Amino acid sequence: MRKEPIDPAGLDWTRVSPKYLTVQLIAWAVEALIYLVVTSVPLVLMLTDVWPGYPAWLAWGLPAVVLVLELWRVILLPRQIRSIGYAERDEDLLVRRGIFFQRTMVVPYGRMQYVDVAVGPLERAFGLCTVKLHTASPGTNAQLPGLPTEEGARLREQLSERGEAKLAGL
Amino acid sequence: MTSEPAAESGSQHSGVVPDPALLAAPQDEWKRVHIISPLVRGWIALVAIIFFAGRDWFESLLSGEDAVGLPGDGGARLPWAIAIITGVVLLVAAGFLLSWYFTRYQVTEQHVKVNSGIIFRQNRQARLDRVQAIDVVQPFLARIFGLAELKFEVADAGESAVKLAFLKLKDAQQLRATILARAAGVTIDPEHPDEIQEAPEREVLALTPRRVFGAAALSGTTIFLILALVAVIVLAVLARTGALLAIVIPVGLAVVGGYWSVINTGFNFRAAISPDGIRIRYGLLDTRTQTVPPGRVQAVGIIQSPLWRIKGWYKVTVNVAGYGAAASGESQARATILPVGTRDEVLQILALVLPDPGTENPVDVFTAGIRGRDNDGGFVTSPRRARPIAPLAWRRNGFKVTDTALLVRSGAWWRQLAVVPHERTQSLAVHQGPLARRFGVADVILHTTPGPVSPRVVQTGQDAAWTLFHEQARRAADARRRSGPEQWMRPVEEPQRVSMPQPPTYSALDRPDEAPNDNR
Repeated sequence: MRKEPIDPAGLDWTRVSPKYLTVQLIAWAVEALIYLVVTSVPLVLMLTDVWPGYPAWLAWGLPAVVLVLELWRVILLPRQIRSIGYAERDEDLLVRRGIFFQRTMVVPYGRMQYVDVAVGPLERAFGLCTVKLHTASPGTNAQLPGLPTEEGARLREQLSERGEAKLAGL
Repeated sequence: MTSEPAAESGSQHSGVVPDPALLAAPQDEWKRVHIISPLVRGWIALVAIIFFAGRDWFESLLSGEDAVGLPGDGGARLPWAIAIITGVVLLVAAGFLLSWYFTRYQVTEQHVKVNSGIIFRQNRQARLDRVQAIDVVQPFLARIFGLAELKFEVADAGESAVKLAFLKLKDAQQLRATILARAAGVTIDPEHPDEIQEAPEREVLALTPRRVFGAAALSGTTIFLILALVAVIVLAVLARTGALLAIVIPVGLAVVGGYWSVINTGFNFRAAISPDGIRIRYGLLDTRTQTVPPGRVQAVGIIQSPLWRIKGWYKVTVNVAGYGAAASGESQARATILPVGTRDEVLQILALVLPDPGTENPVDVFTAGIRGRDNDGGFVTSPRRARPIAPLAWRRNGFKVTDTALLVRSGAWWRQLAVVPHERTQSLAVHQGPLARRFGVADVILHTTPGPVSPRVVQTGQDAAWTLFHEQARRAADARRRSGPEQWMRPVEEPQRVSMPQPPTYSALDRPDEAPNDNR
């Protein structure tokens, strides 16, 4: 994966599955369509003369803005997904994400309270899952979306095993 | 209803009013809280019913006629009203009594157990060595009856795991001593299991009422009051209406409430050290004794509001896993282990929660942390290039690593210092937004349990941030391997101190200090 300047040196990041991009693109398409339809309602009403008094600039402007924002999102999507990565070390797990607002997190195995594996319908269709780590701190928001199911299961087993071995209470 | 058999097995003593003298008795003894507790807990409901009913009756009595429009004359209605009110009061009282009757608790060698609920039974069992804090609380009314509530906190950041309301004060204290002794792993003399002495304590500091009132007078409430007064005067001049009263009353209430919370929680504040940990007491009408066993403090925060700078006062708060993050006044008061103190008192308290500061010169380092700037005390600040995004704070934002803790300093107006022991770090993160990247800085965030302290190294140099990130992860792992047992008095490799410890101080504490500290 592409090295960002914020990346620490000497780390092998594992990328999430490329299929996750497809999942996200489908989700994006559905979402964008809903937003567009909703914001186009005044435009349709105006064009069909149900609500002729509606200002034309607003009727055209609203869906246009939504369209631009959604296109911006979809342009960023591949890079955003490429920026998600994780690295297992002896003592801890590193998770990184973000292109404009970059964040890298380190979660020690001994601090893990529990590990969640979540699968949505769309993810299931593509054989993906989301692994979530929880520590005693609500600030630990470590999520790894788009892992292949076997990799997610392996990671979960690995994490809970290491967490148990290194358990040190709070 | 599924747990009914369990409740049955424990109800062999149900016909007997528990004898408080048996509190520390052997196990398998299910006890109930004090018989007056339903009254103390339900008194607000009773008062409300009597108040509303009484007011209606009084009003109709004054008006003489059927003001409400009900048929019949006042004389015929009165017995009905009284009957209804009595019925409601009896129902409420019966509810509280039943809930009292069905609530039983038991303290065994390993667990504290509580059975409660009338229809939906609940059996709760909490491991003693998972205790994060124990409070003995006396609300005003309970205090009149000499009763107290015992709260047992574990790390789940929500409600108290076990709440026993109410016990006789002496019993509550005895129970606390028992729980702490068993949680600590103290070996109990099997022949006299009920002779558990409360661990001795030594007072470390006490606040005078003068200091507490001074702190209230210089608190943020005063700033708010001044701003509100200015706003009201301006409005009065501009608008000249009588509607001002609508503003003055809520503002007045807020101000009184603000002062009250500072005074009520700071009044009679005393901190003490005992083998069972830090013990603090405070309260004017409601009094509260909190015990935080050793190693339960996850992070310490020291803050100073601008007005307190005149007197050189600071406030010390802690994150304890059981206290949770609720923003209510009560939970803020619980997380405060020094409501107002001078630098020396702050250092004294720090020495209690962080006995090993991990540096040669703790006084200089912590003083630099709470009021210094630039590189004094060895702090690493934001680089000069970050000046445009933090014109004042760049000289103060910084961090310092000692052998045992990370000190995070921030804030030019509201000065803050957060101290996180290495072995308490949950996880770490580096954040960098576009603006920060433009200036080559990044934030390092330390995740800790919920509480008032949220340590964040603001805008430190990018390289320094990465070095800190990796080294802190390694240091936290090393420190965890060395960290002590959960049962803090259980004899391990070396014989543990069971005798009264000296209150720890940072050795050079009695050095002359340039700040005014004769203002107690």
